[in-house]
Amino acid sequence: MTEPVAHVVAQMPRGKRVGLLLLFLGPAVAIYSLFSIYPLLDTMALSTYTSDATGARHFVGLANFQALLGDALWSKPFWNAFGNNLIFFAVHMCVQNPIGIALAGFLSLPGLRLKGLYRTVMFLPTMLSVVIVGFSWNLILSPLWGVASGALKAVGLGSLFAPWLGLESSALITLSLISVWQFVGIPMMLIYAALLNIPDELIDAARVDGLGHFRIFLHIKLPLVLPTISLVSVLTFVANFNAFDLIYSVKGALAGPNFASDILGTFFYRTFFGNQLQLGNPTMGAAVATVMFFIILVGVCFYLFLVQRRIRRYAF
Amino acid sequence: MSNLSIAHLYKRYGAATVLDDINLGIETGEFVVLVGPSGCGKSTLLRMIAGLDGASGGDIHIAGKLVNNLAPAERGIAMVFQSYALYPHMNVRKNMTFGLKFTGVAPAEREKRVAEAARMLRLEELLERYPRDLSGGQRQRVAIGRAIVREPAVFLFDEPLSNLDAALRVSTRVEIANLHRLLKATIVYVTHDQVEAMTLADRIVVMNKGRIEQVGKPLDLYYAPANLFVAGFIGSPAMNFFGAKVESVEGRRARVTGAGFKSLDLPATPLGVGDTLTIGVRPEHLSRGTDGAFTVEGIVELVERLGESSFAHIRRADDKLFVAEVRGRDTPAVGDKTTLVAKAEDVHVFDASGLRIPMQGKS
Amino acid sequence: MTMEQRARSVGVHLVLLAYSALAIGPILLVVMNSFKARSAIFGAPLAPPDSSTFSLIGYDKVLRASNILTYYSNSLVVTLVSMALVLLFGAMAAWALTEYRFRGSTLLGLFLSIGIMVPIRLGSVAILNMMRTAGLNDTLTALILVYVAQGLPMSIFILSEFIQQIPRDLRDAARCDGVPETRIFLEVIAPLLRPAIATVAVFTIVPIWNDLWFPLILTSSDKTHTVTLGVQQFLGQYITDWNSVLAALSMAILPVVVIYVILSRQLIAGLTSGAVK
Repeated sequence: MTEPVAHVVAQMPRGKRVGLLLLFLGPAVAIYSLFSIYPLLDTMALSTYTSDATGARHFVGLANFQALLGDALWSKPFWNAFGNNLIFFAVHMCVQNPIGIALAGFLSLPGLRLKGLYRTVMFLPTMLSVVIVGFSWNLILSPLWGVASGALKAVGLGSLFAPWLGLESSALITLSLISVWQFVGIPMMLIYAALLNIPDELIDAARVDGLGHFRIFLHIKLPLVLPTISLVSVLTFVANFNAFDLIYSVKGALAGPNFASDILGTFFYRTFFGNQLQLGNPTMGAAVATVMFFIILVGVCFYLFLVQRRIRRYAF
Repeated sequence: MSNLSIAHLYKRYGAATVLDDINLGIETGEFVVLVGPSGCGKSTLLRMIAGLDGASGGDIHIAGKLVNNLAPAERGIAMVFQSYALYPHMNVRKNMTFGLKFTGVAPAEREKRVAEAARMLRLEELLERYPRDLSGGQRQRVAIGRAIVREPAVFLFDEPLSNLDAALRVSTRVEIANLHRLLKATIVYVTHDQVEAMTLADRIVVMNKGRIEQVGKPLDLYYAPANLFVAGFIGSPAMNFFGAKVESVEGRRARVTGAGFKSLDLPATPLGVGDTLTIGVRPEHLSRGTDGAFTVEGIVELVERLGESSFAHIRRADDKLFVAEVRGRDTPAVGDKTTLVAKAEDVHVFDASGLRIPMQGKS
Repeated sequence: MTMEQRARSVGVHLVLLAYSALAIGPILLVVMNSFKARSAIFGAPLAPPDSSTFSLIGYDKVLRASNILTYYSNSLVVTLVSMALVLLFGAMAAWALTEYRFRGSTLLGLFLSIGIMVPIRLGSVAILNMMRTAGLNDTLTALILVYVAQGLPMSIFILSEFIQQIPRDLRDAARCDGVPETRIFLEVIAPLLRPAIATVAVFTIVPIWNDLWFPLILTSSDKTHTVTLGVQQFLGQYITDWNSVLAALSMAILPVVVIYVILSRQLIAGLTSGAVK
């Protein structure tokens, strides 16, 4: 809805009006532009330079990007990180979001008791810092402590146990699942809120029509919360391709074993700041950051222009 | 044979009793209206019949079958909701057939029923549209159509006209009455509006605070209300009430006095000396004059002129207001002192506990 | 209820209970074991501490060997100041954008909302340079500035939604009385935004408190570390000292959990009310 310009303000003398706008918008726009937008643009600019042994910077155009994507020295770890990031994202989409949707569905059943308690408990992991989560799970899954292996033995699945975090083949998936464990609360709460928005009378009408609770969820509730689900998906995408904290705190900057858990965030960190294996390379790091930005931009644009337009929002 | 029978129905939420010992029998093809103020339990009762909420005690039989433990879809009912409750992501046709799919009705049969209902409700042009593209009245007809295609034993309506504007309300009311005649359907209809109740019902159930106050035909409720509550609820504007006491009994007449009115002459039986009574007279039964079984006088404070009939609000001797209907152009003016009378058969007498005392010569 | 309904209800509770156990189990495990002696941690990890196995040795070590209390105060300062600024500047901007339509206000709104999707971390290269040049390297101020920039877009978005729901009459009545705009904002609008604060808080406080990246990049000395970073480094250092490790983790967990449990109703109400947009 468009509101007419506040008359009093519109009639103010120009100087006063500008002053007012500066006062209200100034601080926010200034801080945001200075510390969010400008650094991003500066980083993108920096990615077109390279620095030599003396520290001087030379403009090289897109050379950094060519190296990143094509030159084996850089592209191998880059594509490894990118591929891992995709797997990381896929695990979240296939595990985190369906579980979140299912839990939200259960929580929204009418007349459920202890609803508040369940909500509070299930959202708790999301409140914790990733460092805590990472380390706690590291301990729990550690063969030294024996909690995980003991638990599996107790249900007769003892043979399944392996030091998953330490194995190249399973480290990434395990870390992804740990991240899912932590963040299920967010899609759960967002979709739960959307489900609450569905009027009770609609559910009553469906019950009178003969639908059981599962069918009501599938045919009535789910289609009506599709906009929220797609929002959750794009938020998951942005968060996953920006992820860093969990891998870093469990595996360190090298994202081992043997870069098996390296994702774009850790790759960026390592490239820019360096570590025991390589020197920090700010210009290359800037290039990595720029590529990450465009990957995320593509995902967001896909959502904004293709998905959001197509999906209908139903107002009640 | 009763199509719907409710026996000793209770509903309690913790310590609060929302429905208290409800007993009701509804015949096939009857249009019964549950009416009462907010919180009287009428909607709760409807939801119990529908099976959307469980009862705390009592039995419900629909078409001879005990339905206490049956899901709504198995009870042979269909419901029309106050806010229409149409599925926003389905078009009109789908809205109407959706439930039928899950109760095992064959596609051909589904199509037949939708076509029939659409014809009855003039929805043929709208079948492919979505609820968001329909007006309030159209949506209401689709909601009714969705109920019709289920071919239920009992139709349940939950305040279906509340969300419509005044003009639409009147025309939809007429449509519902027509549908009842056409389908010969058993209908249980909930409303807070006593005009809707009076105009639509075969029988009215007046409810208050979880109990049934009175069940009867509209005119029976109008002419012979069982207690003060029903008397004050049915009829608009509401009945005028006057506090009174039996002064003395002389032969076959009793002298009844009260601060608000001038005089009242009633038959002696079944009254006793010293009885506290409430006297009720409807505004439309008061006419200007000096001679009548019941006389009241006062000063006119406000006159509402509605055309042929006007309502005068008059301040009486005990400083309360009462309302009298005046017909024609010759309406009283504010400040006039006026005397009004009512005939004996139009005077309602209620005892100290609020129950009606049937007077001699009246049924 | 029918037998079928009762069975279904039990099934639902089983699922929710199972997941709740999964959610809270690891946390309980860590906290429980932080109070046990080392042998008991390994011997019987699932057993709660009793009189013979109870030990505070880990906590002792943490408090002595690290500046965890400094870390707490740093985190508190950064989080609270950032939140306050995000709310203040965000509300002012949201108000100006919603109320004072002017040429380019839609564009400005769009500009500000880019930040919701685009991660600020990617500009870290430049941010670090800027901080170094400004001499703000290794200060809490640097963190605050960055977090405010990060939190503004979301807060402006949420607050705009809330402001649009304030009845026009309220805003116009004050104008008729000739009240200056700044006072209208402070005394009429700001108090009405109270429900919005919970929503904004959820979206800003938690990410700031738990953030590892910016403290890692922008702070180098121990005295400016936040809890998240401090604990992470402590863990890295004392990795084989299980008592201390568990104690450090518990010390990081418990305050958050306590505050969360106290405020959970408001937090969840905030999340569910604002997030539906």
